[in-house]
Amino acid sequence: MENFKEIINFIAAPQIMFTALLAVFFFIFPPTDWLYSINRKLGLHKLWTKGGGIFLLVVTLGFFIFGLTDENFRLIVTKADNVPIVGLLFLVIFLLWLCLFQAENNDKRIAEGKGPMEAEDAKEKVLVWPDLVYIELIALVIVSALTLIWAISLPAPLEGPANPTVSPNPSKAPWYFLGLQEMLVYFDPWIAGVLFPTVIIIGFMAIPFIDNNPKGSGYYTFKERKMAISIFLFLWLLLWLFLIMTGTFLRGPNWNFFGPFEYWDIHKVEVLTNINLSELVYMIWQNKALPDNIFIREMYGFAALGIYFGLLPLILAKTVFRKVYDSLGPFRYSVFIVLLLLAVSLPIKMFLRWGFNIKYIVAIPEFFLNI
Amino acid sequence: MSKKPESHYNLDKLHMIFAIAALIMLAAFGGLFMKDYDRSWKDYQRDFNGYEMEKTRVKHDSEYNALKNNKEYTTLLSEIEKAEKELSSNCSDMADLENEIVQLNTEYDLINQKAKFTNAEVDAAKYQFETAVGHHQGDAAATKTTFYNLKNKGDALKNDLETAKIKLDDKVAAKKNCTAKLDDLNRKKRNLSTKETLLLRKLKTIDPEQMSFITRIGNIIRDLPVIDMSNPTVKIKQVVLKDITDDRILTQVPKVDRCMTCHLGIDDPGYATFQQPFKTHPNLELYLSNDSEHPVEEFGCTVCHSGRGRGTSFNTTSHAPSSEKQKEEWEEKYDWKVDHHWEEPMLPIQNAQAGCFKCHSEQTPIKGAEKLNLGLQIIEKAGCYGCHDIKKYKDWPKAGPDLTKIASKTSKEWSYKWIQDPHKFRKNTWMPAFFNQSNNNDAASVKRSRQEIHAMVEYLFKNSEAFKLKNIPFKREPKNGEKLVSSLGCLACHQIDPKDTPTTRDSLRQQHGPNLLGLGSKTSKVWLFHWLKDPKRYHPETRMPSLRLTDQEAADIAEFLGNDSKKDFDKTLVPPVDKTVINEMTFDFLHKMEPAPTAKAKLAKMSLNEKLVYSGKKLISQYGCYACHDITGFDGAKPIGTALTEEGEKSLHKFDFGFVHIDHSKHAWFDQKLKDPRSFDKDKVKTAHDKLVMPNFELSEEEREAVVTALLGFVSERTVKNKKKARTPENLMVEKGQTLVRQLNCKGCHIMEDEGGSIQQSIIDWLVKYKEYERGEAQTIVTSFAPPNLIGEGKKVRPQWLFDFLHHPTPIRPWLNTRMPTYTYTASQLNGLLKYFTALDDEEFPFTDKVDTHMSKAEFEAGEKLFSNDYFGCAKCHIVGDKMPGGSPDSWAPNFALSKERLKPEWIIEWMMNPADLLPGTKMPTYFDPDNFDVSGPDDLLNGDEHEQIRVLRDYLMSLSENPETSPQNESTPPTE
Repeated sequence: MENFKEIINFIAAPQIMFTALLAVFFFIFPPTDWLYSINRKLGLHKLWTKGGGIFLLVVTLGFFIFGLTDENFRLIVTKADNVPIVGLLFLVIFLLWLCLFQAENNDKRIAEGKGPMEAEDAKEKVLVWPDLVYIELIALVIVSALTLIWAISLPAPLEGPANPTVSPNPSKAPWYFLGLQEMLVYFDPWIAGVLFPTVIIIGFMAIPFIDNNPKGSGYYTFKERKMAISIFLFLWLLLWLFLIMTGTFLRGPNWNFFGPFEYWDIHKVEVLTNINLSELVYMIWQNKALPDNIFIREMYGFAALGIYFGLLPLILAKTVFRKVYDSLGPFRYSVFIVLLLLAVSLPIKMFLRWGFNIKYIVAIPEFFLNI
Repeated sequence: MSKKPESHYNLDKLHMIFAIAALIMLAAFGGLFMKDYDRSWKDYQRDFNGYEMEKTRVKHDSEYNALKNNKEYTTLLSEIEKAEKELSSNCSDMADLENEIVQLNTEYDLINQKAKFTNAEVDAAKYQFETAVGHHQGDAAATKTTFYNLKNKGDALKNDLETAKIKLDDKVAAKKNCTAKLDDLNRKKRNLSTKETLLLRKLKTIDPEQMSFITRIGNIIRDLPVIDMSNPTVKIKQVVLKDITDDRILTQVPKVDRCMTCHLGIDDPGYATFQQPFKTHPNLELYLSNDSEHPVEEFGCTVCHSGRGRGTSFNTTSHAPSSEKQKEEWEEKYDWKVDHHWEEPMLPIQNAQAGCFKCHSEQTPIKGAEKLNLGLQIIEKAGCYGCHDIKKYKDWPKAGPDLTKIASKTSKEWSYKWIQDPHKFRKNTWMPAFFNQSNNNDAASVKRSRQEIHAMVEYLFKNSEAFKLKNIPFKREPKNGEKLVSSLGCLACHQIDPKDTPTTRDSLRQQHGPNLLGLGSKTSKVWLFHWLKDPKRYHPETRMPSLRLTDQEAADIAEFLGNDSKKDFDKTLVPPVDKTVINEMTFDFLHKMEPAPTAKAKLAKMSLNEKLVYSGKKLISQYGCYACHDITGFDGAKPIGTALTEEGEKSLHKFDFGFVHIDHSKHAWFDQKLKDPRSFDKDKVKTAHDKLVMPNFELSEEEREAVVTALLGFVSERTVKNKKKARTPENLMVEKGQTLVRQLNCKGCHIMEDEGGSIQQSIIDWLVKYKEYERGEAQTIVTSFAPPNLIGEGKKVRPQWLFDFLHHPTPIRPWLNTRMPTYTYTASQLNGLLKYFTALDDEEFPFTDKVDTHMSKAEFEAGEKLFSNDYFGCAKCHIVGDKMPGGSPDSWAPNFALSKERLKPEWIIEWMMNPADLLPGTKMPTYFDPDNFDVSGPDDLLNGDEHEQIRVLRDYLMSLSENPETSPQNESTPPTE
């Protein structure tokens, strides 16, 4: 049993976990026809049947019930602050299953030429009273009652008197910001804390202009919007919720990583030997001193960025995203591709860190500019 | 349901769901109120009310029965009955009278109301009138008329009112006249039954059987949920303290203590036998009660006990268990947990006295805080303040001896073995052990330690200054030395071979200086001789005084002490110098300052001796030896330990518990640190330089507990600064004096402030051994041979005399063998002591009233007579100049020839009036009986006026001089008759 826990602790490390999830992600949520066919072949779409739902429930629930027998796991998971995040985990899985369950159904119906389920509903007459308002009232009462019961059985976690001279360790942001805080591990604060949140908001505003696929409007479908759903779920599940889960359950004192069954030892020491790209190129590869001139020193970093944001979109427009480029036109395509590349820069940076200990691509501490 | 409404969903089902949801909601609300309503303290209050009710019932019943059996009371009752009958016969018009009074009262009230209303109108009209005239607004004439009309009306009503009052008073007086006798009897009855009435009144508020029905229902309603927010019968009890605060980092908030919400019997002596939480406080004389020095309304609870005063449940108040057993009990009973969020948990009961220090840090001893006092005294004795900065002990002398001339005192071998294991030489020495501790007893460390000691010894001896030892008298008598040691007073500060008794403050005073076992192994007789003759020559800062020994005396003592040596200790061998280890060690130290190649080059150039001396200096610095010893080359070196001034309030997370599995509490950490100072290095990888260096004092469990109490008490005073003893010059003088008294160990010989005189035990031994007294007898007369009790010294002696005496003691009690030593005081110390004595007795300093002690011839003769054996026979006990009284020395008394210089005249008067009052247990007889003062003196002198007799006797005493044969008239001015 201890060995099993050791294995889980090992797997839970972001390097392994994230890589593994990334590896299977596009098979579970295939963005292209080719991947879609593999998905069918592997039978992964069966996750979105009733049996699949029960399977997901049993696996997650089983893991939690098993985990609760462990003291360290219990301590973190039952902490009054963290209980909602546990609830969130189950809710996300359930709602994801529910959407895709309906989408699968509709896809099947559309293939049979029957039209989506939602089209059937639309034929029926539904009244505001009692069909809408009554149900809302019931929901209101149930949610209020649950909130009360929750508040009674799990009181708000009161801590000691405020002391400005003592910072809690770990210092954690509210749960919904833990994704941003986790990004701080890989990016300079001005990028993780300022640029990315801004880009996320702009990105949301841009969606209606970029996504011009009229299908799936008013009904659930996967097949008709593979690319859009896959990209969205990639951003939402892997680059946002995964980071929140990691930040909540797996980051302990000093923001060190701790497996789910590991004791949060405040004295744990981790190796921190990160270097900048310039140091890697000049000192390690070429065995030379860093140039004094900032631009010469950082030219490789700038070049990498130039290629990434300048050249790559052009190449992609001609290859992978040719269809997208055709349908969006040059301007909307540029917005789309810049947003996408910014989002993908996070996993890239993560892998650069894990693989090469890269701290910054461009590091100019003289001007507080680190990328 | 007649017609089904049109709907997409099944409405019946929705109704059902709605009903269930609504019921859940209701239950949730119910739970919410219950959770809010159900508090453990309410149960305690109900339980307590039950006890209180039973107690009051019992008290009331006994009081009631006592009344019934009281003859006075029963006759009074029958008298009242009689008087009532008489009343009905005597005052037949009583009923009419009462009716009339009611009538008149009503009339009076009516007129009174009218008068008040009219007056209000008059005031308003007055304002109108005044503004009309003053500001020329409105019609002045009209307002004038209105005002005066109203005023007349008001005056008329006032008249009516006065008339009505007279009428009413008449009738009331008439009624009173009638019932005068009955009223008087009733008043007597009330007086007799006050206690019973009070108890009954109390019962009516708490005992449902005695309550009225309305009150009973009212009480139930008052305690209902939600309604209980207004004025419930069970409620939180609290004190809010304005001038004691809780420290909330950037702000001070008034302290609020709610402890008495559950600890309901805490200030009631009737609950002494109850279990917690109702048990009475064990010391109501000092705490809580209104006539104590710490009434609860002014001090609360947590200012002393710590904990979270605002909490109202067992866990939120931060209770702290005193033992593992209690912890388990609490876990079971109260689900007790450590509250990690509260920095000041309650002090465990065995350390509760720590709370005293906050306010009383300057006073020592703190009266009533014996354990804390012991802890502080151990800190003083062990010299903790040498390495650890403690505000209270700023500028205290170093705890250990001077090592700058060590080569003249002892040998390298002895020093080596002593440093290696001091307890092996003297089992209870205060020199702590640095080596063979838990972090340096592995083979590699031991190997290094051996060479470290060599290096330190080498440094000390290399830097030892010359100390000239002249010849010691050739003929020396150890037997006489032994006798001198036991009689001169050495044993007030030194012991030869102390017994293994629990450490007390008294035993610490007897170990003020080192114990004297095995001196022959340590030093030479010649050195001892010179040390005894003049300790300051060897160690200018020493606290060892001179006993003004003659050469022969010093030589005899040196011979006696030097004869004692520890053979087995002498026999142990000093391990040889190991060049490789010395090289490694020296290199390590060099490498800390310089890069390895330079260090290596330097090392190669050094001789072995240079290496030893170099490392020795570094090691002395590393271990902090200079904190307790004067060592050449370490003048002004900073202390190496953590500052302890506010150690008690340091955050728990700043304590490194390492890998030691003990309770995570400050007291457990302190205890562990004292028990095994190096234990927090356990399982850690450290270089020789990084290891913990605090030495082991091998304190017993009791000693540790006392020191932990003191450490927990070392907190900032900012939360109580308004409650501290006022910083008046007098208080400061007393505190400074107390410090000197402890530094010089005055209490080793003298009783001061009700404690001390630790030497008396050794005087008893001396009396038994050399004066052939029985032990019991010796115990009764020991005070006659012991140094005097200094109670009231400030009142008794003249400051100038005391100054001279302290500077150069002269015998006052020549029969004492114990000598008042000669200290080489600084002026500041001398002044400090004089001010201390005067401030302690509330006397003026430095000048006192000038008293005229001149006598007429007749007075002189009267005084002479009173002094003579025909009357008081003063010289039977008192020494006069060189004339000794008869009888055995245990009845002798101080020399009168010194009176004029020594004593304050007012004191002599008080002393003669009632000696036992000034010095309880004195041998001085009471010549003037304080109970029958006016007839206590002889009748045939000075008209039998006792006051005159005492004054004349006093003046006579003041005229006595060193030579009583000389006529006293020559000394004083001639009689003025």
